[in-house]
Amino acid sequence: VFQSATSLEAAHASIRVLVGEKLRYLVPMTIIFMTCYVGLTVLAAFAKDFVGAKIVGSVNLGFVLIAFNYVLSWGLAIAYGLIAQNKFDPLATRAAASRDAESVK
Amino acid sequence: MNITLEIFAVILLITIGITYWAARRTATTSDFYAADSGLTAAQNGFALAGDWASAAAFLGFSGLTALYGMDGAFYALGPLVAFCTVLLLIAEPMRNTGKYTLGDIVRTRMQTRTSLLAVIAGTVVVNFAYLMPQMAGAGVLVRLLTGISYDWAVIFVGISMIVYVAFGGMLATTWVQIVKAVFMMTAGAIILAMILSMVKFNPLLLFQEAESKYTASYLLPGNYLKNPFDQISLGLGYVLGLAGLPHVMTRFYTVPDARTARRSVVWVMFIAGAFFACTTVFGLAAANFVGQDAIRAADKGGNLALPLLAQYLGGGKGSFGGDLMLGFVAAVAVATILAVVSALTLSTSSAIAHDFYVNCLKGGHVDGKREVWVARVASVAIGLLAIALGILAQGVNVAVLVILAICVAASANFPVLVLSLFWRRFNTGGVIGGMTLGLVSSVALAMIGPAMRGADAWWPLVNPTIVSLPLGFLGCVLGTLLAGRDFDNEKRFDAFLFRVHTGEEPK
Repeated sequence: VFQSATSLEAAHASIRVLVGEKLRYLVPMTIIFMTCYVGLTVLAAFAKDFVGAKIVGSVNLGFVLIAFNYVLSWGLAIAYGLIAQNKFDPLATRAAASRDAESVK
Repeated sequence: MNITLEIFAVILLITIGITYWAARRTATTSDFYAADSGLTAAQNGFALAGDWASAAAFLGFSGLTALYGMDGAFYALGPLVAFCTVLLLIAEPMRNTGKYTLGDIVRTRMQTRTSLLAVIAGTVVVNFAYLMPQMAGAGVLVRLLTGISYDWAVIFVGISMIVYVAFGGMLATTWVQIVKAVFMMTAGAIILAMILSMVKFNPLLLFQEAESKYTASYLLPGNYLKNPFDQISLGLGYVLGLAGLPHVMTRFYTVPDARTARRSVVWVMFIAGAFFACTTVFGLAAANFVGQDAIRAADKGGNLALPLLAQYLGGGKGSFGGDLMLGFVAAVAVATILAVVSALTLSTSSAIAHDFYVNCLKGGHVDGKREVWVARVASVAIGLLAIALGILAQGVNVAVLVILAICVAASANFPVLVLSLFWRRFNTGGVIGGMTLGLVSSVALAMIGPAMRGADAWWPLVNPTIVSLPLGFLGCVLGTLLAGRDFDNEKRFDAFLFRVHTGEEPK
């Protein structure tokens, strides 16, 4: 298939838009779960007394933070699923379409 | 313990039926390696759960919690968080870019044989480091549960996996994993319901009783992992290592597109995550009801905490309900090992047949029928090797290999994979540098650490990921810079990126 330099350029430009949009969401999300999880391991390693503080009955802060990480992971999974479906998928479809439109010309 | 054998015989018959059914539908390379990419998100989600929850998760997490309290709960959380990394960064690009193996991605990106060879090395080392302890664990577990000898147990497990993989390929492996995941979830749900009814649906009572029985320090971290850096190393290894495990990542090729791959990760996060969370409850309940002394008496490492708990909940030793529950959990544990070793065998044979034989030796020019034949032969050879290694491993400390598998995956495979997908300047030199430094530092540090050398270790950490992971990335960067710029490769990156994000060729 013959393709002019400009059409390739258009396709690559539409991919750059998609990558930019992905970075806008994925970077903060990755920072959030990495901080929460690695932060918890650091706390458990170096701040035992803090992690051992009682919260409800015999349950200490460590177990509460572990439970929080479960909820956070599940929350991120659902949030990412929705964002990908509503933001990324349409952009990916558009990028593929722009390539097809250009190469037909 | 006849009832274990009876329940396991039923599971075995189901899996053999599946293999017979799958074998008749497995003809092309796409069938053999990827179940013709025809699975739904829910099917792949269950198979991922069956693949990822090894015996270490099914039995180990409960046992660790029973004996060491919070550290067991930490162990159980990591495998769920690991899927956040996979979901956000790896699953969709992987589905869009590759076809059958981890090597496909690096080969498409670099288009060099040396980079592919480096990835094959990473795949084979990780898979065998993972496979050997599974075989040894199977030997111990099957002997403990059924009374047959260690060697025969290893041979039995090995032959079953060879049959599943060689005849039924990915389709049989997938359904063995799905069946196992369903049995595992069922066992988990029954045990959870029984525990909750015993504590009058107030899980806080479990913590209270554990505290009064074993003092407050039982519920603190650091009882199992004494060195604080080991704790962090373990966390890092899990969160980044999963993305470098070839036998789990190739599951994304079994679905038709990136959207389905994404949805299958969400599935596995909910089903496997819920199970992992339950193992903490099971561990506390086992410590309370069965008692740490009885658990240690049955197995020093605590691996029989869950079967013993099931026996207690069913009515205790000697009762019909107790035997039934014990038999059920034990049979599921054996099925768990079968599902995992099959995936490892399949993934290794794909690396040998597809990456090495077809793409390295023959430059991609091999007829599909011949490729499937080579892959089947490779799976038989790998299975026989695994049996031999499993028998040799009896009595040897294989714990170091478990750590090594996940450590190499995080320190060598993960940096190479992620930089291949996202860094324009990354080149063949970088692949080789990262793979070498990540692999060598992981193996060297694990070998001189306490897992291998006990008290006279030359290096304090059991798990070296905290050092070897940065070294792996450093190797990637240094290799890339030393090799000089590869302008053809950088120019191709735009087209590669198009594939990574859309799953289509940029014509």
